[in-house]
Amino acid sequence: MLRKIECYIQPFKLEPLTQALVELGVDGMSVTEVRGFGRQRGQMVKRRGQAAPKPEIKFLPKLKLEIIVPEDMVDAAVVLITKLARTGTVGAGKIFVLPVEDAIRIGTGETGHTAIA
Amino acid sequence: MPAKTWNPWEMALRQLADVAKRTRLDDDLHAVLAHPRRILCVSIPTKMDDGSVRVFEGFRVQHNLTRGPGKGGIRYHPAVTLDEVKALAMWMTWKCAVVGIPYGGAKGGVICDPKKMSLGELERMTRRYTSEILPIIGPERDIPAPDVNTNAQTMAWLMDTYSMNLGYSVPGVTTGKPLSIGGSLGRNEATARGCLFVIQAASKRYGIPLSNPTAVVQGFGNAGAIAARLLNEVGYTILAVNDSRGGIIHPKGLDPVAVLKHKEKTGSVVGFPGSAKVSTEELLTAQCDVLVPAALENQITAPIAKKVKARVIAEAANGPTTPDADAILESRGIAVLPDILANAGGVTVSYFEWVQSLQSYFWSEREVNLELRDVMQRAYHDVQRRADQEKCSLRQAALSLAVSRVAEATRIRGIYP
Repeated sequence: MLRKIECYIQPFKLEPLTQALVELGVDGMSVTEVRGFGRQRGQMVKRRGQAAPKPEIKFLPKLKLEIIVPEDMVDAAVVLITKLARTGTVGAGKIFVLPVEDAIRIGTGETGHTAIA
Repeated sequence: MPAKTWNPWEMALRQLADVAKRTRLDDDLHAVLAHPRRILCVSIPTKMDDGSVRVFEGFRVQHNLTRGPGKGGIRYHPAVTLDEVKALAMWMTWKCAVVGIPYGGAKGGVICDPKKMSLGELERMTRRYTSEILPIIGPERDIPAPDVNTNAQTMAWLMDTYSMNLGYSVPGVTTGKPLSIGGSLGRNEATARGCLFVIQAASKRYGIPLSNPTAVVQGFGNAGAIAARLLNEVGYTILAVNDSRGGIIHPKGLDPVAVLKHKEKTGSVVGFPGSAKVSTEELLTAQCDVLVPAALENQITAPIAKKVKARVIAEAANGPTTPDADAILESRGIAVLPDILANAGGVTVSYFEWVQSLQSYFWSEREVNLELRDVMQRAYHDVQRRADQEKCSLRQAALSLAVSRVAEATRIRGIYP
């Protein structure tokens, strides 16, 4: 089975991450510039337990990576991304793993695992 | 260590009585749960290599079968007693109920010294023992698994003997089988992985730091070595580990994979390059976030409990904490993730193996691990919620949750006829 790893990371983490993923055996990925917010609602400083007035939601710039991998590569890729995209602060991002029903390489019509290798 | 001299069956009954009192369990239900459903004692004549015949004594106890077929290991040990097997069967009932898998509790044992027996003698004894307990085991009745001194090979002999008697292959009669005859991927790592999932689920609540958490692992066998590796993979620094020959410590952390290689080469973790020696007591009382006892019973005794510096103890082993130590840890605010929760990953993946065997359709390792995570996370949160409601320790909460589930199943089914 193929899986899609969709992750949202801080833009400056892209370069080391790409290199490491390629070394792991990832054969391609797509990157999109996106804006988003999470639990912090876009606030850069952590506010815990403060009864702050409803903070204004801010969309912060992130990168979205989409990587299709065989199932047996998912765990290694997730460990790698977690390690390398970690910033030590809030807002480092998130990883989602989704099932992929099928993959087809348009040029050749190859399907499944052969379409991504 | 007083707990060692306690009769295990009396201990199990006392635990049940405590829970019954705390949860105001109906007296009739209490009486039902305080008796094993079925005990089978068998004699196992075995032809030894020298031509003589020895008759071994064996047991299979089914404590409760209300929630599903019995489940529990078979142990080979010279010190096996019927009372021990009865207690272990009752604990299996609770363990299966805590994680919510549809099994009752059972356990088996044979009084023998496998270290003094040849492979051939062990095979003949296993096959005869299987034949003797054959009427009460089976995929819908009672599903044995490996335990002390039994392994995948033992289960293969058991499965083959059962299958030969029925005339067709029945992989669902046992779990912990080799992969080649219907074992499950991920079964080997299951106990350690389940323990990791429980630790992770409990991390926020018990203040385990997000960055650079530290762990100490006692025991470097199947559960301990894998727990150390998995914890390290998710960012834990492994400060110290030990095995039966001694312990090692490194303030900057040990590489569990390299330590395992060292152990495979030399027979022990001791002498791992760059590490310093450490005693068992120093190891158990070392400063760390998570302490994982993954060795024998009764390791964390009262004197040690007074000095434990970990925030959380995750019991990968069975019964590593003595009851008096338990009370001390509770008063000191150290959270104990109890054995029937923290090491239930093993029986959970056994359940997955049984399901796969029955369907003859096998899962990928990732599927096994994700399903295991769901079960363990749900079980932890169920236990934590109960502990908060009843204002009790996680161990008491796990037991009372388990007993209430079994009691409810017994009540709703009613007493036959």
